[in-house]
Amino acid sequence: MAKHNLESLNPLKFTELIKNRETEIAKANPEIPKEDLNANFLAQSLHPMKQTLKITEIIEAKDAKIYTLKGEKCAYFTSGQYLSVSVRIEGKTLSRPYSILSSPKDALKGFYKIAVKRVEGGIVSNFILDNLKTGDTLEVSEPTGSFTYEPLRDAELVVAVAGGSGITPFVSMAKAIVEGSEDFSLLILYGSRKEEDILLKNELDSISKNCEKVRVIYVLSEEEKEGFEQGFINAELIKKYTENRAFSVFLCGPQAMIGFADKELATLDLERKYIRHEVHGEVADPLTFENFPENTPETVKITVYSKGEKKEFFAASKNTVLRILEAEGITPPSRCRGGECGFCHSKLLKGEVFIPKELDKRREADEKFGFIHPCCSYPLMDLEIEVSQ
Amino acid sequence: MNKKYDVIVVGAGNAGLAFACTATKNGLKTLVIERNILPGGCATSFVRGRFEYESSLHELANVGTEENPGSVRQLFESYKAKVNWVNEENAFRVIADGENGYDATMPAGVEAFADKMEELVSGSRESVIALFDLAKKAEAAIAYLSQGKADPMVMMSEHADFMRMASHSVDECLNALGMPEKAQNIVKTYWPYLGASTDKLDLAHYLIMMARYIAGSPAMPLMKSHELSLALDDVIRRNGGEIFYNTEVKEIITENGKAIGVRIDEGEIYADCVVANCFPETAFSKMMDSKAVPQKALRLANARKKGELFFTVYLGLNRSAQELGIKDYSVFLFNSPDSLQQYRSMDSFDESFVIVNCLNTVIPTASEEGTCTLFLTTMLSESAWAGVNEENYKEIKNRIAKRMIELYEEKLNLSVKPYIEEIVIATPSTFARYLNTPNGTPYGYEVQPWDTMMARIMNANNEQFVENLYFVGAHGDRADGYSSAYSNGNSTAGKILREVKNSGKA
Ligand SMILES: Cc1cc2nc3c(=O)[nH]c(=O)nc-3n(C[C@H](O)[C@H](O)[C@H](O)COP(=O)(O)OP(=O)(O)OC[C@H]3O[C@@H](n4cnc5c(N)ncnc54)[C@H](O)[C@@H]3O)c2cc1C
Ligand code: FES
Repeated sequence: MAKHNLESLNPLKFTELIKNRETEIAKANPEIPKEDLNANFLAQSLHPMKQTLKITEIIEAKDAKIYTLKGEKCAYFTSGQYLSVSVRIEGKTLSRPYSILSSPKDALKGFYKIAVKRVEGGIVSNFILDNLKTGDTLEVSEPTGSFTYEPLRDAELVVAVAGGSGITPFVSMAKAIVEGSEDFSLLILYGSRKEEDILLKNELDSISKNCEKVRVIYVLSEEEKEGFEQGFINAELIKKYTENRAFSVFLCGPQAMIGFADKELATLDLERKYIRHEVHGEVADPLTFENFPENTPETVKITVYSKGEKKEFFAASKNTVLRILEAEGITPPSRCRGGECGFCHSKLLKGEVFIPKELDKRREADEKFGFIHPCCSYPLMDLEIEVSQ
Repeated sequence: MNKKYDVIVVGAGNAGLAFACTATKNGLKTLVIERNILPGGCATSFVRGRFEYESSLHELANVGTEENPGSVRQLFESYKAKVNWVNEENAFRVIADGENGYDATMPAGVEAFADKMEELVSGSRESVIALFDLAKKAEAAIAYLSQGKADPMVMMSEHADFMRMASHSVDECLNALGMPEKAQNIVKTYWPYLGASTDKLDLAHYLIMMARYIAGSPAMPLMKSHELSLALDDVIRRNGGEIFYNTEVKEIITENGKAIGVRIDEGEIYADCVVANCFPETAFSKMMDSKAVPQKALRLANARKKGELFFTVYLGLNRSAQELGIKDYSVFLFNSPDSLQQYRSMDSFDESFVIVNCLNTVIPTASEEGTCTLFLTTMLSESAWAGVNEENYKEIKNRIAKRMIELYEEKLNLSVKPYIEEIVIATPSTFARYLNTPNGTPYGYEVQPWDTMMARIMNANNEQFVENLYFVGAHGDRADGYSSAYSNGNSTAGKILREVKNSGKA
């Protein structure tokens, strides 16, 4: 019978390990190559930490402007993604997400386009609209977000339900289909009050005229006009234009519009995988949530630790923790500002916050160890919090 | 910012975190600085839609059970870290294609593993048992060596087998053991966990790893790796350590050839020593004054082979694992029974091997009822990724993912694609961006015959190139893997604590 042992191997080879190592080291080049490896190079070009861009063109629209942002190089992206745009207002750096409306290949040519719509009480949007001129520079993040078409997941036909500035990611998708960087059919249902409120209409019309795969239906809620659907985007309308084909629905727009459309979609009995959302606009006022507890104090004391520094202040409580901090000049990283991306991840050391269930996208262990996403947490009492500014 | 720390840790990966836990537990004033907004490096999780995904862990070796704890569980207990462990029963299923291919499901536990092997390859049992005995010998030798003495006489008389294993490849040793070929192939299934080919990797290293998985009751944290990393973050805070997230160390500052602190955007911070969880070559070439780095350090970095590239696909499925017919936690899909062919498959992203894990089979609450997640992994060589550019990136990414999913569907004879509710694809570039390692590798330096775990350990004292600067992580002596990184971080802290004690500062 065979003996199962290692006797045939020479143990003294072990004593050569150190010598062999020294020999290999001595043979090697004493200079570390300067150029990056391909995966690192691509990581840099696809995901730069930040991009500094110049405004080269501003086009006026009703209640909105379209900005062309140019850089030496703009990171490539997938249609549906957004940029987190930073501006300095009264000494504070504030950032907000804006979907890219230009095409992926435009980025390779060195520009992005975004649309900024005026929002009542909006801090950053209104600042951009009222203050930024061509020639000004802006700092933006890498393109980010997951509101994108995934061939392995989505139906070949995408029904885009858009409202207000929510049309922007779909404009990019339409252009991507035209230029060949995406391959799917896009049916855009775009809701506006009146024809004059429709953003980017010329662009949309010329794309749909020239590309079979893109179709645009305008839906007006406060105007009756030939060539336009009338009312709100509802289940009937979706059925009418999809004609029994399988489809995925992508919704983008203000919270109120999405809320309405969601109720309509519920009647269509679609599997959840076929419905995807991107909310444009954060909810500052917690009272819009049904189960927000009564009797929360009007003013709360906030104690913040950041890199070993401590700051204390009082603040009106009816706001997100993130906005409360930003108003004091404390700016934790943020991107989506709607609970999804986890960028604002911070440790709540003391106190309690209200987190609307539909926005709570934290990881399971976050709850166990007391971490919150301040962009969708509202103070219920005095808080102590640590942030990573 | 004139504050002075005993130690600054650059990076909160597994090794950086374990280092900081041990250091703070023993009273060192410690600051951890991490680029990302979260701790863990590889050891994290992320949320997409209604799914939370484990980002990297297939299984954590040597956790053991409550009654019979392994080194990782013991280390976490010594920190009083709050982790709930869930043990895993089956070791793996492996399906190898081609001539003499096989489909084998191997249980954990030495006896059960050997019995199953006998069933598959009659006459293999004894050699398998002999192999696990060698694993014990390897552990004993390491324990002896880690006491700091290495008497050649004792080594020859008591640890000769270890000397053989540590200087011969897996292939050479298994042949010497007289193990039947098919059994050898099945035993070698875990090679992707070290990412080195079995004709180069020494048996000592492979066997310690393999035995820790098969005999040492592997486990998963209940709430994905994020639970591990937050538990260690919590330990560091409780022990009085500080952590800055979202903060990149731009420079490791040296003075007269010694590390004295780091520079971040806000300014310089000083410490008695700096412990870097980043790659040595990244530190040497991008973060340090080139005059402070001895030539030999650069030569060593260049001589080494960097770990392989990772490509992973995370799926959230809108059916339960039972409904889809998924039973196995972990399946290895190889193009051939031959481990060298398997290794070479990494040269093409259209052919590379695939590992598929379904966490719900071990932790049913890993996702909502009526759903499950799948985690598909492949590895690529540097050349396989070299032709990818910005424009073809997305297409190639989807093409690889599709192949991986379809291979799984075909080999397991089940259907996955119609149920994909969420999909996330991480490429080598995704890892590069998140980990800041060369080519995004999570595996440190690949083991070579001259660069084995033992060669690293025995040479450690000659390779402390810059005074007061230490490196911990997958690029350290124990190479890749969670348990290796924890252990490397912990032992480096032990070493610094001894030095502090000897210098009479504490
Ligand atoms: C997909 C995948 C699957 C895996 N499966 C397993 C498995 O099943 N079992 C297992 O045991 N192992 C597995 N591994 C391997 C294991 O995760 C790694 O080997 C291990 O975690 C490496 O730890 P590390 O300490 O080297 O840190 P890393 O994870 O490399 O972390 C380094 C940290 O340092 C930070 N950093 C770097 N530079 C700087 C700087 N200049 N300033 C500040 N911070 C910096 C980085 O941001 C990062 O957080 C897997 C890995 C991957 C990616
Ligand atoms: S900014 Fe995205 S979760 Fe808070």
